[in-house]
Amino acid sequence: MNRKEAVSIIVNEIGDVPIISANGFISRDLYETCDKDKNFYMIGSMGLASSIGLGVALKNPKVKVFIFDGDGNILMNLGSLTTIGSLQPKNLVHIIFDNNSHESTGGQPTHTNKIKLEDIGKSVNYKTYTILSKKDLIFNLKKIKNQKGPIMLVVKVKKSKKISTRVEIEPEQIRKRFTNSLKLI
Amino acid sequence: MKEKIQRNIFNYFSKNGINNFVGVPDSTMKYFIKEGLEQKKILITTREEEAIGIGAGFSMSKSPTIIFMQNAGFGNSISTITSLIQMYEIPLIFIIGWRGYKKTDAPEHLGFGKIQNQLLKILKIPFKVFSENEWRFYCDWALNNLEKNNSCALIIKREHE
Repeated sequence: MNRKEAVSIIVNEIGDVPIISANGFISRDLYETCDKDKNFYMIGSMGLASSIGLGVALKNPKVKVFIFDGDGNILMNLGSLTTIGSLQPKNLVHIIFDNNSHESTGGQPTHTNKIKLEDIGKSVNYKTYTILSKKDLIFNLKKIKNQKGPIMLVVKVKKSKKISTRVEIEPEQIRKRFTNSLKLI
Repeated sequence: MKEKIQRNIFNYFSKNGINNFVGVPDSTMKYFIKEGLEQKKILITTREEEAIGIGAGFSMSKSPTIIFMQNAGFGNSISTITSLIQMYEIPLIFIIGWRGYKKTDAPEHLGFGKIQNQLLKILKIPFKVFSENEWRFYCDWALNNLEKNNSCALIIKREHE
Protein backbone atom coordinates (compact mmCIF):
# COMPACT_ATOMS: atom_id res chain seq x y z
CA MET A 1 0.00 0.00 0.00
CA ASN A 2 1.24 3.50 -0.74
CA ARG A 3 0.48 6.54 1.39
CA LYS A 4 -2.29 7.93 -0.77
CA GLU A 5 -4.12 4.59 -0.69
CA ALA A 6 -3.78 4.53 3.08
CA VAL A 7 -5.03 8.13 3.38
CA SER A 8 -8.04 7.25 1.26
CA ILE A 9 -8.95 4.23 3.41
CA ILE A 10 -8.57 6.23 6.63
CA VAL A 11 -10.70 9.22 5.60
CA ASN A 12 -13.44 6.83 4.45
CA GLU A 13 -13.47 5.08 7.82
CA ILE A 14 -13.20 8.05 10.19
CA GLY A 15 -15.70 10.46 8.56
CA ASP A 16 -15.85 14.21 9.07
CA VAL A 17 -13.47 14.73 12.02
CA PRO A 18 -10.58 17.17 12.54
CA ILE A 19 -7.28 16.11 10.97
CA ILE A 20 -3.99 17.88 11.60
CA SER A 21 -1.92 16.92 8.62
CA ALA A 22 1.88 17.22 8.47
CA ASN A 23 3.68 19.24 5.81
CA GLY A 24 4.99 17.73 2.58
CA PHE A 25 3.39 14.93 0.61
CA ILE A 26 1.07 13.91 3.48
CA SER A 27 -0.98 17.11 3.29
CA ARG A 28 -0.92 16.97 -0.51
CA ASP A 29 -2.33 13.43 -0.51
CA LEU A 30 -5.06 14.39 1.95
CA TYR A 31 -5.95 17.51 -0.05
CA GLU A 32 -6.28 15.52 -3.26
CA THR A 33 -8.16 12.64 -1.63
CA CYS A 34 -10.67 14.44 0.56
CA ASP A 35 -10.53 18.22 0.99
CA LYS A 36 -12.74 19.49 3.82
CA ASP A 37 -12.93 22.33 6.35
CA LYS A 38 -11.83 20.13 9.24
CA ASN A 39 -8.44 19.43 7.58
CA PHE A 40 -5.64 21.61 8.91
CA TYR A 41 -2.97 21.35 6.22
CA MET A 42 0.47 22.22 7.50
CA ILE A 43 2.66 23.80 4.90
CA GLY A 44 5.76 24.55 6.96
CA SER A 45 6.77 24.00 10.60
CA MET A 46 7.87 20.39 10.09
CA GLY A 47 7.53 18.20 13.15
CA LEU A 48 4.72 20.09 14.84
CA ALA A 49 1.62 18.16 13.68
CA SER A 50 1.63 16.14 16.90
CA SER A 51 1.76 19.29 19.04
CA ILE A 52 -0.92 21.20 17.14
CA GLY A 53 -3.03 18.03 17.27
CA LEU A 54 -2.55 17.80 21.03
CA GLY A 55 -3.74 21.39 21.46
CA VAL A 56 -6.83 20.77 19.32
CA ALA A 57 -7.58 17.46 21.07
CA LEU A 58 -7.39 18.98 24.57
CA LYS A 59 -9.83 21.75 23.67
CA ASN A 60 -12.30 19.58 21.73
CA PRO A 61 -12.74 16.54 23.97
CA LYS A 62 -16.05 15.47 22.45
CA VAL A 63 -14.60 14.57 19.07
CA LYS A 64 -11.76 12.26 17.99
CA VAL A 65 -8.89 14.33 16.66
CA PHE A 66 -6.57 12.71 14.11
CA ILE A 67 -2.95 13.57 13.46
CA PHE A 68 -1.51 12.55 10.08
CA ASP A 69 2.23 12.44 10.66
CA GLY A 70 5.29 11.05 8.91
CA ASP A 71 8.31 9.18 10.22
CA GLY A 72 10.68 12.04 9.35
CA ASN A 73 8.23 14.49 10.86
CA ILE A 74 7.75 12.81 14.23
CA LEU A 75 11.47 12.12 14.58
CA MET A 76 11.89 15.92 14.67
CA ASN A 77 9.56 16.24 17.68
CA LEU A 78 9.94 13.07 19.73
CA GLY A 79 9.58 15.16 22.88
CA SER A 80 5.95 15.80 21.96
CA LEU A 81 5.27 12.08 22.46
CA THR A 82 6.25 12.35 26.13
CA THR A 83 3.91 15.32 26.56
CA ILE A 84 1.03 13.49 24.85
CA GLY A 85 1.80 10.29 26.75
CA SER A 86 1.71 12.07 30.10
CA LEU A 87 -1.47 14.07 29.41
CA GLN A 88 -3.28 11.00 27.99
CA PRO A 89 -5.84 12.76 25.77
CA LYS A 90 -8.53 10.12 25.23
CA ASN A 91 -9.62 11.56 21.89
CA LEU A 92 -6.21 11.70 20.17
CA VAL A 93 -5.35 9.30 17.35
CA HIS A 94 -1.85 9.64 15.96
CA ILE A 95 -1.34 8.06 12.57
CA ILE A 96 2.25 7.89 11.37
CA PHE A 97 2.81 7.03 7.72
CA ASP A 98 6.17 5.32 7.83
CA ASN A 99 8.01 5.01 4.54
CA ASN A 100 11.42 5.10 6.20
CA SER A 101 12.25 8.22 4.23
CA HIS A 102 11.96 11.95 3.73
CA GLU A 103 10.00 11.36 0.53
CA SER A 104 9.02 15.00 -0.04
CA THR A 105 12.66 16.09 -0.27
CA GLY A 106 13.84 13.29 -2.54
CA GLY A 107 13.56 10.06 -0.55
CA GLN A 108 16.52 10.40 1.79
CA PRO A 109 16.48 7.69 4.51
CA THR A 110 15.29 8.08 8.12
CA HIS A 111 16.25 5.70 10.93
CA THR A 112 12.91 3.91 11.24
CA ASN A 113 14.34 0.78 9.61
CA LYS A 114 16.43 0.35 12.77
CA ILE A 115 14.33 2.04 15.44
CA LYS A 116 10.67 1.10 15.78
CA LEU A 117 8.35 4.05 16.35
CA GLU A 118 5.85 1.63 17.90
CA ASP A 119 8.35 0.82 20.66
CA ILE A 120 8.78 4.51 21.40
CA GLY A 121 4.98 4.88 21.41
CA LYS A 122 4.56 2.02 23.87
CA SER A 123 7.15 3.40 26.25
CA VAL A 124 5.33 6.75 26.43
CA ASN A 125 1.98 5.06 27.17
CA TYR A 126 0.28 5.14 23.79
CA LYS A 127 -1.79 2.17 22.61
CA THR A 128 0.12 1.22 19.50
CA TYR A 129 -0.63 -0.73 16.34
CA THR A 130 1.57 -1.64 13.40
CA ILE A 131 -0.25 -1.72 10.08
CA LEU A 132 1.21 -3.68 7.20
CA SER A 133 -1.68 -4.09 4.77
CA LYS A 134 -4.95 -2.49 3.65
CA LYS A 135 -6.85 -5.26 5.40
CA ASP A 136 -4.95 -4.57 8.66
CA LEU A 137 -5.70 -0.88 8.33
CA ILE A 138 -9.46 -1.27 7.88
CA PHE A 139 -9.64 -3.87 10.68
CA ASN A 140 -7.74 -1.71 13.18
CA LEU A 141 -9.55 1.52 12.30
CA LYS A 142 -12.80 -0.22 13.19
CA LYS A 143 -11.23 -1.67 16.33
CA ILE A 144 -10.05 1.70 17.71
CA LYS A 145 -13.42 3.40 17.21
CA ASN A 146 -14.43 2.71 20.80
CA GLN A 147 -10.98 2.72 22.33
CA LYS A 148 -9.54 5.46 24.49
CA GLY A 149 -6.46 7.32 23.32
CA PRO A 150 -3.79 8.24 22.93
CA ILE A 151 -3.59 5.74 20.11
CA MET A 152 -0.71 5.40 17.64
CA LEU A 153 -1.07 3.66 14.31
CA VAL A 154 2.21 3.17 12.49
CA VAL A 155 1.17 2.55 8.90
CA LYS A 156 3.98 1.10 6.81
CA VAL A 157 3.75 2.55 3.31
CA LYS A 158 5.72 2.24 0.09
CA LYS A 159 7.10 5.19 -1.78
CA SER A 160 4.92 6.26 -4.67
CA LYS A 161 5.86 7.49 -8.15
CA LYS A 162 2.84 9.74 -8.39
CA ILE A 163 2.99 13.08 -6.57
CA SER A 164 -0.18 14.78 -5.45
CA THR A 165 -0.88 18.41 -6.24
CA ARG A 166 0.13 21.22 -3.87
CA VAL A 167 -2.45 22.53 -1.43
CA GLU A 168 -3.84 25.54 -3.26
CA ILE A 169 -5.74 27.17 -0.41
CA GLU A 170 -4.21 30.25 1.20
CA PRO A 171 -2.84 29.51 4.71
CA GLU A 172 -5.07 32.15 6.30
CA GLN A 173 -8.09 30.53 4.66
CA ILE A 174 -7.01 27.05 5.84
CA ARG A 175 -6.88 28.39 9.40
CA LYS A 176 -10.17 30.29 9.18
CA ARG A 177 -12.24 27.42 7.87
CA PHE A 178 -10.58 24.98 10.30
CA THR A 179 -11.36 27.24 13.29
CA ASN A 180 -14.93 27.79 12.12
CA SER A 181 -15.46 24.05 11.69
CA LEU A 182 -14.36 23.47 15.31
CA LYS A 183 -16.99 25.92 16.57
CA LEU A 184 -19.69 23.66 15.22
CA ILE A 185 -18.54 20.61 17.16
CA MET B 1 11.31 41.00 38.73
CA LYS B 2 9.89 40.71 42.26
CA GLU B 3 8.06 37.54 43.29
CA LYS B 4 4.84 39.37 44.14
CA ILE B 5 4.65 41.15 40.81
CA GLN B 6 5.32 37.94 38.87
CA ARG B 7 2.48 36.23 40.75
CA ASN B 8 0.23 39.25 40.15
CA ILE B 9 0.96 39.14 36.44
CA PHE B 10 -0.01 35.48 36.25
CA ASN B 11 -3.27 36.11 38.08
CA TYR B 12 -4.06 39.20 36.03
CA PHE B 13 -3.73 37.30 32.76
CA SER B 14 -5.64 34.35 34.17
CA LYS B 15 -8.52 36.58 35.29
CA ASN B 16 -8.59 38.50 32.02
CA GLY B 17 -9.26 35.75 29.56
CA ILE B 18 -6.03 33.77 29.16
CA ASN B 19 -6.92 30.09 29.48
CA ASN B 20 -3.57 28.48 28.75
CA PHE B 21 0.03 29.01 29.80
CA VAL B 22 2.41 26.78 27.87
CA GLY B 23 6.18 26.88 27.63
CA VAL B 24 9.68 26.08 28.78
CA PRO B 25 10.78 27.53 32.13
CA ASP B 26 13.23 30.37 32.61
CA SER B 27 14.59 31.70 35.90
CA THR B 28 13.57 35.29 35.04
CA MET B 29 9.93 34.23 35.45
CA LYS B 30 10.14 31.43 37.99
CA TYR B 31 7.49 32.88 40.34
CA PHE B 32 5.10 33.50 37.44
CA ILE B 33 5.46 29.81 36.60
CA LYS B 34 5.30 28.77 40.26
CA GLU B 35 1.99 30.60 40.69
CA GLY B 36 0.62 28.84 37.60
CA LEU B 37 1.87 25.44 38.71
CA GLU B 38 0.24 25.90 42.13
CA GLN B 39 -3.04 26.57 40.34
CA LYS B 40 -2.46 23.66 37.92
CA LYS B 41 -2.72 26.00 34.96
CA ILE B 42 0.75 25.56 33.48
CA LEU B 43 1.82 23.11 30.80
CA ILE B 44 5.58 22.58 30.59
CA THR B 45 6.78 21.30 27.21
CA THR B 46 10.03 19.69 26.09
CA ARG B 47 11.03 22.62 23.88
CA GLU B 48 9.70 25.97 22.76
CA GLU B 49 8.50 25.00 19.29
CA GLU B 50 6.41 22.25 20.84
CA ALA B 51 4.82 24.87 23.10
CA ILE B 52 4.05 27.07 20.09
CA GLY B 53 2.51 24.09 18.26
CA ILE B 54 0.25 23.25 21.20
CA GLY B 55 -0.57 26.95 21.57
CA ALA B 56 -1.55 27.07 17.89
CA GLY B 57 -3.96 24.18 18.50
CA PHE B 58 -5.43 26.02 21.50
CA SER B 59 -5.66 29.33 19.68
CA MET B 60 -7.39 27.77 16.67
CA SER B 61 -9.88 26.29 19.14
CA LYS B 62 -10.55 29.88 20.30
CA SER B 63 -8.81 29.41 23.64
CA PRO B 64 -6.48 32.38 24.38
CA THR B 65 -2.91 31.32 25.13
CA ILE B 66 0.39 32.61 26.49
CA ILE B 67 3.67 30.96 25.48
CA PHE B 68 6.61 31.52 27.85
CA MET B 69 10.28 30.88 27.24
CA GLN B 70 13.85 32.06 27.65
CA ASN B 71 15.23 34.17 24.79
CA ALA B 72 17.45 31.26 23.70
CA GLY B 73 14.26 29.30 23.10
CA PHE B 74 12.79 32.20 21.19
CA GLY B 75 15.84 31.91 18.92
CA ASN B 76 15.07 28.21 18.42
CA SER B 77 11.53 29.09 17.39
CA ILE B 78 12.07 31.65 14.63
CA SER B 79 11.11 29.38 11.73
CA THR B 80 8.00 28.17 13.57
CA ILE B 81 6.99 31.77 14.21
CA THR B 82 7.33 32.72 10.53
CA SER B 83 5.87 29.56 8.97
CA LEU B 84 3.14 28.73 11.48
CA ILE B 85 2.15 31.67 13.68
CA GLN B 86 2.64 34.45 11.15
CA MET B 87 1.79 32.57 7.95
CA TYR B 88 -1.55 31.28 9.28
CA GLU B 89 -2.12 34.42 11.41
CA ILE B 90 -2.55 32.56 14.70
CA PRO B 91 -2.51 35.01 17.63
CA LEU B 92 -0.40 34.23 20.73
CA ILE B 93 1.20 36.26 23.53
CA PHE B 94 4.88 35.43 24.07
CA ILE B 95 6.56 36.08 27.39
CA ILE B 96 10.32 35.99 26.91
CA GLY B 97 13.04 36.05 29.54
CA TRP B 98 15.81 38.44 28.54
CA ARG B 99 18.93 36.56 29.51
CA GLY B 100 22.15 38.40 28.75
CA TYR B 101 20.53 41.76 29.50
CA LYS B 102 23.42 42.40 31.86
CA LYS B 103 27.01 41.61 31.01
CA THR B 104 27.25 39.79 34.33
CA ASP B 105 24.80 37.06 33.22
CA ALA B 106 26.28 33.65 32.35
CA PRO B 107 28.44 33.73 29.21
CA GLU B 108 26.18 31.53 27.07
CA HIS B 109 23.44 34.19 27.27
CA LEU B 110 25.47 37.23 26.25
CA GLY B 111 25.42 36.65 22.49
CA PHE B 112 21.67 36.20 22.22
CA GLY B 113 20.97 38.91 24.77
CA LYS B 114 22.56 41.42 22.39
CA ILE B 115 20.56 40.51 19.27
CA GLN B 116 17.21 39.64 20.87
CA ASN B 117 15.44 42.96 20.31
CA GLN B 118 16.78 43.35 16.77
CA LEU B 119 15.40 39.90 15.92
CA LEU B 120 11.99 40.81 17.31
CA LYS B 121 12.05 43.93 15.13
CA ILE B 122 13.09 41.99 12.01
CA LEU B 123 10.28 39.52 12.66
CA LYS B 124 7.87 42.46 13.07
CA ILE B 125 6.62 41.11 16.39
CA PRO B 126 5.43 44.07 18.49
CA PHE B 127 7.11 43.88 21.90
CA LYS B 128 7.50 45.75 25.15
CA VAL B 129 9.93 45.33 28.02
CA PHE B 130 8.13 44.98 31.36
CA SER B 131 8.69 47.67 33.97
CA GLU B 132 7.78 46.53 37.48
CA ASN B 133 5.76 49.59 38.47
CA GLU B 134 3.49 49.60 35.46
CA TRP B 135 3.07 45.87 34.95
CA ARG B 136 -0.70 46.18 34.46
CA PHE B 137 -0.23 48.54 31.54
CA TYR B 138 1.97 46.00 29.77
CA CYS B 139 -0.45 43.14 30.42
CA ASP B 140 -3.32 45.23 29.05
CA TRP B 141 -1.26 46.13 25.98
CA ALA B 142 -0.67 42.42 25.28
CA LEU B 143 -4.31 41.46 25.92
CA ASN B 144 -5.38 44.24 23.59
CA ASN B 145 -3.14 42.90 20.83
CA LEU B 146 -4.55 39.41 21.30
CA GLU B 147 -8.07 40.80 21.16
CA LYS B 148 -7.22 42.20 17.72
CA ASN B 149 -5.81 38.80 16.66
CA ASN B 150 -2.22 40.06 16.72
CA SER B 151 0.69 38.16 18.26
CA CYS B 152 3.01 40.16 20.49
CA ALA B 153 5.79 39.69 23.04
CA LEU B 154 6.47 40.87 26.58
CA ILE B 155 10.07 40.81 27.76
CA ILE B 156 11.20 40.23 31.35
CA LYS B 157 14.73 41.44 32.03
CA ARG B 158 17.20 39.38 34.02
CA GLU B 159 18.30 42.13 36.40
CA HIS B 160 19.72 40.22 39.33
CA GLU B 161 22.72 37.96 39.65
